[in-house]
Amino acid sequence: MVRFKHRYLLCEVVSDDPRCRLSLDDRVLGGLVRDTIARVHGTFGAAASSIGFAVRYLNAYTGIVLLRCRKEFYQLVWSALPFITYLENKGHHYPCFLNTLHVGGTIRTCQKFLIQYNRRQLLILLQNCTDEGEREAIQKSVTRSCLLEEESGEEDLSDGGEEAAEAME
Amino acid sequence: MLPPALSPFTSFWRLWRSLVILTGKPWLPPSVRQAEMSNAKERKHAKKMRNQPTNVTLSSGFVADRSVKHHNGGGKPFRAQKQESFSGTSRQRQTRMTHYSPPEPDVNEQSSSKVTFNKKGGWKAGPEGTSQEIPKYITASTFAQARAAEISAMLKAVTQKSSNSLVFQTLPRHMRRRAMSHNVKRLPRRLQEIAQKEAEKAVHQKKEHSKNKCHKARRCHINRVLEFNRRQKKNIWLETHIWHAKRFHMVKKWGYCLGERPTVKSHRACYRAMTNRCLLQDLSYYCCLELKGKEEEILKALSPMCSIDTGLTFAAVHCLSGKRQGSLMLYRANKYPREVLGPVTFIWKSERSPGDPSENRQLWIWLHPTLKQDILEEIKVVCQCTEPTKSTVCISDPLLTPNQEKSQTKLPDEKIGKKRKWKDDGENAKPIKKFIGDGTRDPHQLYSWISPTTGILISDLTMEMNRFRLIGPLSHSILTEAVKAAAVHTGEDTENTPHRWWTETCKNPDSVSLHHRQEAIFALLGGITSPAEIPAGTILGLTVGDPRINLPQKRSKVLPNPEKCQDNEKVRQLLLEGVPVECTHSFIWNQAISKSVTENKISDQDLNWKRSELLVPGSQLVLGPHESKIPLLLIQQPGKVTGDDRRGWGSGWDVLLPKGWGMAFWIPLIYRGARVGGLKEAIMHSQYKRSPYIPGDFPDCPAGILFAKEQAKNLLEKYKRRPPAKRPNYVKLGTLAPFCCPWEQLTRDWELRAQAQEESSVASSPSGEESDWRGDEVPCAPTPEKTHQVSDAMGTSLHACSEPRGRMDTECPAQMGTEWATGQDAARRHLCVLRSRASLKQLSAWCGPSSEDSRAARQVPSGGQQELTREACLSLLDRFPRALVWVSLSLLRKGSPEPHAMICVPAKEDFLQLSQDRLYCGPQESKHSDPFKSKIRKQKEKKKLEKRQNQGHTVSEGLEAGHTMAEHQAPTLGLWSGPLPDVTSHCSRVLLGFVTQGDFSMAVGCGEALGFVSLTGLLDMLSNQPAGERGLVLLRPPASLQYRFARIAIEV
Repeated sequence: MVRFKHRYLLCEVVSDDPRCRLSLDDRVLGGLVRDTIARVHGTFGAAASSIGFAVRYLNAYTGIVLLRCRKEFYQLVWSALPFITYLENKGHHYPCFLNTLHVGGTIRTCQKFLIQYNRRQLLILLQNCTDEGEREAIQKSVTRSCLLEEESGEEDLSDGGEEAAEAME
Repeated sequence: MLPPALSPFTSFWRLWRSLVILTGKPWLPPSVRQAEMSNAKERKHAKKMRNQPTNVTLSSGFVADRSVKHHNGGGKPFRAQKQESFSGTSRQRQTRMTHYSPPEPDVNEQSSSKVTFNKKGGWKAGPEGTSQEIPKYITASTFAQARAAEISAMLKAVTQKSSNSLVFQTLPRHMRRRAMSHNVKRLPRRLQEIAQKEAEKAVHQKKEHSKNKCHKARRCHINRVLEFNRRQKKNIWLETHIWHAKRFHMVKKWGYCLGERPTVKSHRACYRAMTNRCLLQDLSYYCCLELKGKEEEILKALSPMCSIDTGLTFAAVHCLSGKRQGSLMLYRANKYPREVLGPVTFIWKSERSPGDPSENRQLWIWLHPTLKQDILEEIKVVCQCTEPTKSTVCISDPLLTPNQEKSQTKLPDEKIGKKRKWKDDGENAKPIKKFIGDGTRDPHQLYSWISPTTGILISDLTMEMNRFRLIGPLSHSILTEAVKAAAVHTGEDTENTPHRWWTETCKNPDSVSLHHRQEAIFALLGGITSPAEIPAGTILGLTVGDPRINLPQKRSKVLPNPEKCQDNEKVRQLLLEGVPVECTHSFIWNQAISKSVTENKISDQDLNWKRSELLVPGSQLVLGPHESKIPLLLIQQPGKVTGDDRRGWGSGWDVLLPKGWGMAFWIPLIYRGARVGGLKEAIMHSQYKRSPYIPGDFPDCPAGILFAKEQAKNLLEKYKRRPPAKRPNYVKLGTLAPFCCPWEQLTRDWELRAQAQEESSVASSPSGEESDWRGDEVPCAPTPEKTHQVSDAMGTSLHACSEPRGRMDTECPAQMGTEWATGQDAARRHLCVLRSRASLKQLSAWCGPSSEDSRAARQVPSGGQQELTREACLSLLDRFPRALVWVSLSLLRKGSPEPHAMICVPAKEDFLQLSQDRLYCGPQESKHSDPFKSKIRKQKEKKKLEKRQNQGHTVSEGLEAGHTMAEHQAPTLGLWSGPLPDVTSHCSRVLLGFVTQGDFSMAVGCGEALGFVSLTGLLDMLSNQPAGERGLVLLRPPASLQYRFARIAIEV
């Protein structure tokens, strides 16, 4: 097929500061990555990687970020990611770094990877948990996610009603 | 979740405003950003992204919180949640994801935990004060919940495919297998479930067949007949339907399924068939009304419906004797010349004993199905027939046959499968009967009415007979070849045959001799070169044998046989006097006999069986007394009877057959070389005959009005399908009504115009000379009075555009009353078409180029023609106010006219240029400006703006706006919106009328058109034109600026 081939970088924002998560936004992050590329690879690098660059998905709660760039220059972006050391927003600097989890050719593979990754994380969390109440909560979410996997087929039938209910609020 | 006083919208707008204040530029939610994309792109994008998870951020809440704090302190976490969900709802499909990512039951939990953290200074700290505090511990539960939510979101995205390809198409090629698209088990197991769903969806989309039957069973004869019977319950099928459906584009029209045009390219071939050979048409959809009763009663009842002014009536001598077919125009009783019902043809049954007034007569009125309802009602009224009668002998079968069929369908058929021998095929050989005749008829409805006072019985014989029309010079030869007169029974042991009526007839020597005379005359017909030579409307009755028996092996073309015309005296007598009255007798008039003929038809299958049992294969089959005898009625159709060129073109024969025998005659006729035409060929036939087409060319009768409305609707739809840049802008072209002809307005405008001219001429010269009466040709500066009138008229008749032919004038009676102040108002208001023969003759003489012309000179002594004077015009106008005249136009040079082309009056300079340059094509209309264009554009922009604003609002609001938008209908670019202005003087040349049919005529070799012009306008134009140039007009198609010269002619 004739299409633009992309690379998707699935990253995790790791930060000690909780306020970092608050200011995590697709624009802020996009600007940050772009600036870093410009800093590391110069004007050429910034220009080359700016084509088709986008933040496709961002979850502030978990800190998962999905970046998209063209296949030809994804190494420029990739290599620039370790140089991000802080997140700047409204004059505040929050120290953080990006941990690249996966590089994929489609969003779909990244999503698949993310599912596996999250499940693994949950299990690790469950194993290491000592508090009883916490353990129960984690157990609940783990089972829910597993159940969801089974139900996912049936959900799209019922979500029409749910949507309407949401709109009513 | 929400504070009760805050609706989500207000909070949203507050947020948005605060954002603007903060950032200095309006931050638009993603939905609005999307709206800026082109619509199609947006939809495509939305479809692609419908299953993708959206971003989950806290920052928006964080930013908003700061400002919202000033308005209302608390509820920070809610705000963040709310905005997320809000932007989600405005997008259509993506909502699901946002709501799943912090799943519904957990939101409360989560937020509550957050609140608690806030107090403790947890990781989810407030913006300002608590920010410095470092979290003491991290709770694993929130962390786990966030993960779980993400997993679910991702799962959703992964499991649902967003592309619109089928499942197996997403598989890589090496994993695809044959028959994967319909066999789910061929797919990998993980995809089988999705594929199953897809397959179910596809099944729903498919047309539903009878599920319990396989293809083979469906094709089996009995089931097919059942299916066909079911399908013809809605629209009536002609007997030749299946034959037509295989070869023609079928249309559903007037309650019938009719062949419109052949699928093969045959326009020219059909014309050639009409002129040189023979064209066959199935006109069985024509309706027949039967009137039975005393002659004088019928005549008395029907006489108010027709006028002697328009030609012969029901009482014409030739027709009344039953010798000829007559044709006339029917009007509502005593309403001539207004309220036309439509044209009909009629035949009287010849009397057995002439001169006996007490005898019951039979009259058949044949008419087009669109006119049937009105005419039947009117005839019922004039005959005072109100009581529907029970089925009598004359009309029994439409009531009985459906019941019979129903009972017969229930019969179990034990004989399917094994071959039957024809000898033992008894009663139950035919378990299912085909529908013969009208399949839509309700068995409980009655189709005959009797009058207690006059004793007239009216019955509706629609679909009780077949009517085939043969057009062209070879129609004789084909008829005489295909149809052989029935053999007379001389035998003895013929009692047990089903054709009892024929044996009875054969016993009577008078009837036998009559049959022989008919046979002789029919044989003579074969030698006549063209049907036009026989007197118009000649009727010949005949009884013939089964035409299937002498069907040729192959389709061939019949050639005229000159050897047959030896018997010169007899032929000459036939041509001179037509068929003698006695020979017009046919048994088809007798319903009982027709019925028995229909019922006792040998089926094709049996006939072929018998044929196969012949000793010598291919030899003539002799059935003897078992052969069916079919009564026929042959009616000569006069071709072109008007005008003086190509007289008799398109003449032919109509064959009336009892029902059920359609296909048995159809195939033999085709095997003799007749070409079949459809409705389009019928239009061509009437156009080349220069006769008005039913119902399109009767703008004053209800069927014609309906037809015009439908045509306008179709054309408008077709026009709107094109993008504005690829279709003509009729406003710029100066065409006010490209899809319909506003006859009412045309005639009224001409009347106003004539009156204004008269007034001005009277004012200028009280003597009122003839030359002055005409006034100036184009009153460039109309009197203020007139403009006032026009504007008034426009104001009151707002529906002029939507209902161009509606009775506009009835809406403003007061105004008209003041204008005319005469007692004739009521009469004047209606449109009428001039059909008085005397007036038409006079007009046609005036239309000629000059009085020195030989043709005009010939006509002057014959009719005692009046000169074209003011008095003559005025008297004509007085008799027929607001009249239209049917005219034919032939173009002088180039150009091929189209329907709805405008007929205009040439200006003086056009004549000047034409006289200087004989090759002058015609003037050009200058381009008009389009005042609606900017308006439409403005409206569009406004709509766009509203739409954009609505996007932010709720869905319901948007819907409301959409409703209001739809209510006032948007004007179409390129069409005149609102009421039409003065149609006559809208363009540089004054409008006279419109073309209804027009094309390049293969008969003449130049463009020819037929149409109507306003009588007032025509007289005005003729009196203004110099004698040498009289009758020249300009024609302009609706999509062109070029006028072309054409000569006007009125043919009587």
